[in-house]
Amino acid sequence: MNLTERAQGFIKNNMSMEDALPTRMPVYMSSVVYLFGALTLSALGMLILTGVVLTIFGPGWWHVSGFGHFINSLHFWSSQIFFLGILLHMIGKFFMAAWRGGRWRTWAVGIITLGIAVFSGLTGFILQTNWDSQWVSGQAKDALNAVGIGSLVNTLNSGQMLTLHIVVLPLFVVFFVGIHILIVRHESPVRPIGSEEKDA
Amino acid sequence: MSAKSEANLKGIPSKPYDLLREGLIVFAFAVVVIVVLAALFGSPDYPSVTAQEVAQKQPVDYLKLVSDYLSGNSDMQTYGPPYTRNPENAQGLFGLAPANILGVTIPIDAQKDFVLKPLEALATISPSVKDALGQFQAAADDQRNAWVKNYTDALDKAEVSGQSVQLAPGDYGPVPVLMNGMLDIARAGFLEGALNSGPNVPYAFDNTKALMFLEGDIQDQVAGKLDMQGGQWGIGHETGNYPGAWWLWPYTFLYQIPAIGNADNADIIVGAIMALFFLVLIFLPLIPVLNRIPYWVKVYRVIWRDWYRDHGKS
Repeated sequence: MNLTERAQGFIKNNMSMEDALPTRMPVYMSSVVYLFGALTLSALGMLILTGVVLTIFGPGWWHVSGFGHFINSLHFWSSQIFFLGILLHMIGKFFMAAWRGGRWRTWAVGIITLGIAVFSGLTGFILQTNWDSQWVSGQAKDALNAVGIGSLVNTLNSGQMLTLHIVVLPLFVVFFVGIHILIVRHESPVRPIGSEEKDA
Repeated sequence: MSAKSEANLKGIPSKPYDLLREGLIVFAFAVVVIVVLAALFGSPDYPSVTAQEVAQKQPVDYLKLVSDYLSGNSDMQTYGPPYTRNPENAQGLFGLAPANILGVTIPIDAQKDFVLKPLEALATISPSVKDALGQFQAAADDQRNAWVKNYTDALDKAEVSGQSVQLAPGDYGPVPVLMNGMLDIARAGFLEGALNSGPNVPYAFDNTKALMFLEGDIQDQVAGKLDMQGGQWGIGHETGNYPGAWWLWPYTFLYQIPAIGNADNADIIVGAIMALFFLVLIFLPLIPVLNRIPYWVKVYRVIWRDWYRDHGKS
């Protein structure tokens, strides 16, 4: 069995170049609702770019540098736009019943991504290393302890929060976002309700 | 296109499209919005509350906190897993207390870790603290409890004069010396360092003890003034007029319901409801009634209005 040949066949059958980088789209894609996913992705890109700069200089840098504070502000507002984008994207897809035609996996992966992103946001708040993080870490630890996670994830352990926030959780977010997009591109955008004989 | 896309889009006309161009335009829009928001509003940076600050500004509150820890009767002393061996205090729901599954993984003895250990460090350079600590540790439990109780009661009527806290005469044993030692450590700015001190010194990635020390009344006072307590939508808030973690509103909302927010096991109740909510969201496309809502609300008619205009009603 040639694994490489099998991989080639799998990709050929499931993702053409026109799927990956489309030059044509179905005519029903004319609403601004279709841009919310791209808005979320753009904010994620800004989160990563600004996050890399903050990572290079360390978690305490932005308290002592005006430029650092501005980069932190970009990171902060990127997170706001990111979650706003997710919310709008989610609401749009809900009202489009975009899970039709076997696309429920796309929806499920999107929700899982949101769940991971929420934890990533929490670790980000905790990494501000100021009163907000002091308060949030204390409150969050009680919640995590109550559900039995506190033994594994200690919000008062700044080192663990740092590694989770800048490596582990972003990797998971990017991974699931990647899966989400690959499935979307593989399956094509869902048709308008009523434009096919069987929606389900 | 993939076979699946071909099948899905059968009979649907297409139009020219430029994915990269559209993506770059949206990205540029997002960048402009983010830069403008960051330039106009910045980001919150309310400084941490330190033991030094509290010991200087509110010495009586600080000493009450320390005496509570020293008494061995603080809430932290019997918190339960993952800090103490008090499984009965782990929050439970329907007879299940998940915190007890892994048990104590971050052992903390509030009396020793928060008070006696910092004092032991101070004792190496302060003979009076060394003597007082020796006297305290050599005394019987009843005697120690009586000294600490007398001292704690006297704190209610303490007078602050300059940097010193004056108590009415009483039977406090060595406790005032120990308390003043803790006051000195905090005022010098050494307390958090002493609390974080461990096998990894000089590295301190884990701030568990230093962050936990000021929890309770002192942090609650600060949080209350900043509208950040649990009953004030808690961690969904940021300091100042910033939007904060509004995506946690469904979570913090549950704490606003008195029957939940006032329950001893509020955290696990909220955790369970959120876990259920999350599962419902994940499997929403497969849940009858919920997955029919879009068909009844008909917002899709607006989203695809061009299609329905050109291709008839659904």
